[in-house]
Amino acid sequence: MKERQFPRARVDCLSREFGNEVLVYDLQRDVGHCLNSTAAAAWKLCDGNSSPPQIARTLSRQLSTRVDEAVVLLALDQLAAAHLLVEPEVPVERLSRRVALRRIGIAAAIALPLVTSIVAPTPAQAASCLHNLAPCTNNVQCCSGVCAPIALRCVGG
Amino acid sequence: MKKLDRLDWAERLTLSAFGVRAGVRVNVSGLLPRVLPLLPPGWTKSHRVIVERLYSLVVAQGCERAGMRRLHVLYADTMPVARDAALDQVLAALETDLHRYTAEATSDMTFLHAGVVGWQGRAIVFPGRTLSGKTTLVREMLRLGATYYSDEFAVVDNFGLVHPFARPLGIREDSSYAQTKYTAERLGAASGVKPLPMGMAVICKYEAGAQWQPAPLSQGQGALELLANSFAVRSQPHQTLRRLHNLVRHSVFIKGTRGEAHEAAASILNLSCARERLETT
Repeated sequence: MKERQFPRARVDCLSREFGNEVLVYDLQRDVGHCLNSTAAAAWKLCDGNSSPPQIARTLSRQLSTRVDEAVVLLALDQLAAAHLLVEPEVPVERLSRRVALRRIGIAAAIALPLVTSIVAPTPAQAASCLHNLAPCTNNVQCCSGVCAPIALRCVGG
Repeated sequence: MKKLDRLDWAERLTLSAFGVRAGVRVNVSGLLPRVLPLLPPGWTKSHRVIVERLYSLVVAQGCERAGMRRLHVLYADTMPVARDAALDQVLAALETDLHRYTAEATSDMTFLHAGVVGWQGRAIVFPGRTLSGKTTLVREMLRLGATYYSDEFAVVDNFGLVHPFARPLGIREDSSYAQTKYTAERLGAASGVKPLPMGMAVICKYEAGAQWQPAPLSQGQGALELLANSFAVRSQPHQTLRRLHNLVRHSVFIKGTRGEAHEAAASILNLSCARERLETT
């Protein structure tokens, strides 16, 4: 029961390493995430068997510098918010970002964990949209989202 | 579809572009020569009967009566795509939809929404959505001697090389939304033929009066920006990620807000040259 509360990385996502960073694509949510080196290292250690202090110790060994547990908690907070961890059956109490940052202070020897996310575009979103007065047949074609019904032209945008 | 099939079709064409087969049929003879320049660059005729998407262009014929507009209609399969009294507008809609469909449906390549130029054997890529100023920047780069690859798509193969999609540039004159088409040659530039590795990706958007002070972006962050502009990431996530990985291998990324294009273009080329010099020494 206790083990289940340890953080575990989701395995149903696609991931690729770009230097020390990892790009993760969530197939269920169609969201892309970029994990910086610290967040990526922490994510890889989320095996469901390691507690945050254990992850901090392993990270310290890997990076040859002391990694505070608060850094790991901050990483876990961001990874959980990005849905990159298996949801625990029992809600886990996490350190708030503000408290974590206060504990880490300004003297952290490694980069603070950072997870950046984008929603993957649909083909229509990725493409150029139609502008004012361009012929259209439905709203999604127009940049403004408005295709005038009788004139069949985009209005605005 | 049956209703459309029953119409009297004067001319038809089956084409293949980037592994996608599409058909175009028109109800007026002599119209296909106007359609050919609108097809995706590098298209070839296909002799297969089955296509993935069939465009039907119904040109209004006969005299116009008082109080009644005669509209030309374009269908993609059975779905109306454009309906307009001006045939040019409907043909432009055909070009847009066919290019977009090719970008979305091909599995041979990954299409990114981006402008691309070639410079000293490398591709400089400007990912961005509509009205982010891609074409203006591409045009300025051409003026400074770059080779034209595309003002709309970066086409990426399995090895991460960027292929040309050198359709005429759609330039918006005097901040209007209407575009005028210019070939690269008409702008005094050459069009690229050879696929190139990406040397730099520039993520920027236009803001009047802004000063161009780009900041470097990490490879992972840069790849995420490219992902945000890819057409088929939802339907082909594995290929997209693999190709992006190969694409960014030897690339640098910069990001910033630009003012006038000439200032940013010169700075980007200087940066690219400086990087080239660093690599050769």
